[in-house]
Amino acid sequence: MISLTHFLLVSALLFSTGLYAVLAKKNAILVLVGIELMINAAVLNLVAFGRYDGGLYGGQTFALFAIVLAAAAVAVALAIILNVYKHYKSINPDDINDLKD
Amino acid sequence: MREYIPQISKLLNGVLDGLPFLLPEFILATTFLLSIFSGISKGQSKVTWWLSVTGIVAAGLAAVLQSSSPAAGPVFFEMILPDANGALLKVLIGFVCLLFCIFVYHNQPLRNHPKKMDDLLSVLLAVHIGLNLMAIAVNWLMVYITIEMVSIGSYVMVAYLSRDNKQSEAAVKYVLFGTVCSAIMLYGLSFFYGYTGSLSFVDARHLTGLLAMPAPVFMLATLLVLTGIGFKLSFVPFHFWSPDVYQGAPTPVTAFLSTAPKIGAIVLLGRFVLSWPQTLDTAIPRPLFYLLAVIAMASMLVGNLVAIRQNNMKRMMAYSSIGHTGFLVMIILADVERSFPILFFFLASYVIMNMGVFMLADYLEEKLGLTEISQYRGLGKSHPAVMVALTILMVSLIGLPPTAGFVAKLLTFSAVLTAYQAEADLVWLLLAVTGAITTVVALFFYFKIPLQAFLRSAAEQSEQKAPLNALLITAFLLCLLTVLFGIFPAVVLDLL
Repeated sequence: MISLTHFLLVSALLFSTGLYAVLAKKNAILVLVGIELMINAAVLNLVAFGRYDGGLYGGQTFALFAIVLAAAAVAVALAIILNVYKHYKSINPDDINDLKD
Repeated sequence: MREYIPQISKLLNGVLDGLPFLLPEFILATTFLLSIFSGISKGQSKVTWWLSVTGIVAAGLAAVLQSSSPAAGPVFFEMILPDANGALLKVLIGFVCLLFCIFVYHNQPLRNHPKKMDDLLSVLLAVHIGLNLMAIAVNWLMVYITIEMVSIGSYVMVAYLSRDNKQSEAAVKYVLFGTVCSAIMLYGLSFFYGYTGSLSFVDARHLTGLLAMPAPVFMLATLLVLTGIGFKLSFVPFHFWSPDVYQGAPTPVTAFLSTAPKIGAIVLLGRFVLSWPQTLDTAIPRPLFYLLAVIAMASMLVGNLVAIRQNNMKRMMAYSSIGHTGFLVMIILADVERSFPILFFFLASYVIMNMGVFMLADYLEEKLGLTEISQYRGLGKSHPAVMVALTILMVSLIGLPPTAGFVAKLLTFSAVLTAYQAEADLVWLLLAVTGAITTVVALFFYFKIPLQAFLRSAAEQSEQKAPLNALLITAFLLCLLTVLFGIFPAVVLDLL
């Protein structure tokens, strides 16, 4: 029997994997992949919790909005990464470091 | 499905009841669509600019009308609460957008850009809608949508020029940091939803649900949610992006980012914090209160202490805005009953000062090519009017009389000390002392500018005379307003 706890565990795993990909930051695209994993962890949580929301479907609605907004944000992010590649010829966040104190 | 059919008319009525309260947003949305069509035309046409300005002014007027007939309670199924405070904030946000339009109009790099400024204005209108909704949102779904609306628009605005390495670097740092923060926030929100079964933070079920959450889970979820709001507000420890982005972005965009999203985000935080009723059993949880107090103190300290080391004008203003965020959080915590007038006055004076400073800084950058404060030496002789105006604005940013900044800080300190007398909690005293110390520290870096301009003489006297343009006149008017609000603060305070 799959219970709510299982969903929460999977989403926690997803979230941690995503956070690791973001913090390791070897490549800007991989950071975006990590962000996508983190958003999906949240979406999984929302849908799993939404199961217990009697008749209102607040969680599922939220999940739909979150998916759409994440796609929009990632589209803009990809365009900006493409732009930065034109100037730096690299998308490793460690190389992109002209602005500092 | 069948059991929902009787509900449909009730749901539709709920939607229809809410529609009149979205009039400013409808005007903006129509303008946004029109601006996309008018932006297609080739050549330097000013149609889009005039269209945007008209739309923003009309939306502002609609918001003024709204402030006299606010909604009695939340509309759209507890999504938004269009109250009088929200309407006044919409007017303030519209004012910032209008100043941004004037700013863009006089910025040569943006005007000469192959994409023209039309697309930037369309993005501005979209961000304006997001900010307006952010000022009245009382539901976590709405909060998330508005934060994303504003963020995505801001990413495009920062990346709009991307002429050199620095500008594209600022954009990439902003977009990566921003999307990570909103993803973390979303994960936190999923826990709020799971433990309370409700997303509306005016809902009593939501508040009691939050209090019933196990303490570690509550703190974890709150921290995750504060990450998203903290990114928009750029308080410590989520401030890392702001100096880089402020320095790299085109100056009009920097001016916009340092003001408008802050208005929206601080109101969001305020609505969340103030949604806790003041009765003892449901008052704001103490750990959350102390956490916010520590954030306020850390922001004031980090913002003002690090600003001393900065030499780039825009970077210094970034740290200064982090310091001001600390004050804003302090106001939110201080006095529930009276905090809105203080918050509004602080925001209004902050908007005026910051916009004025960035307009003058952009003028110096564009006409004379000066970006570093040490390059300002001797400018007091060659450009007296500009430097006097900048000095007045700096005096206001520090918080010395007779300027709006002084009144704003005075009101803040008096609210904090009143709260200390009422509660005798040591944390109030600490907040007030931190605020006072950082105000003194602020003297050192804000006064570097008049010091360089008036007391040091230039190596070679530049005879470059810069012409007077409408941007400069707007900046002088803003400067006049800071003094006016400083001497007659009642002009603003009586509005509320």
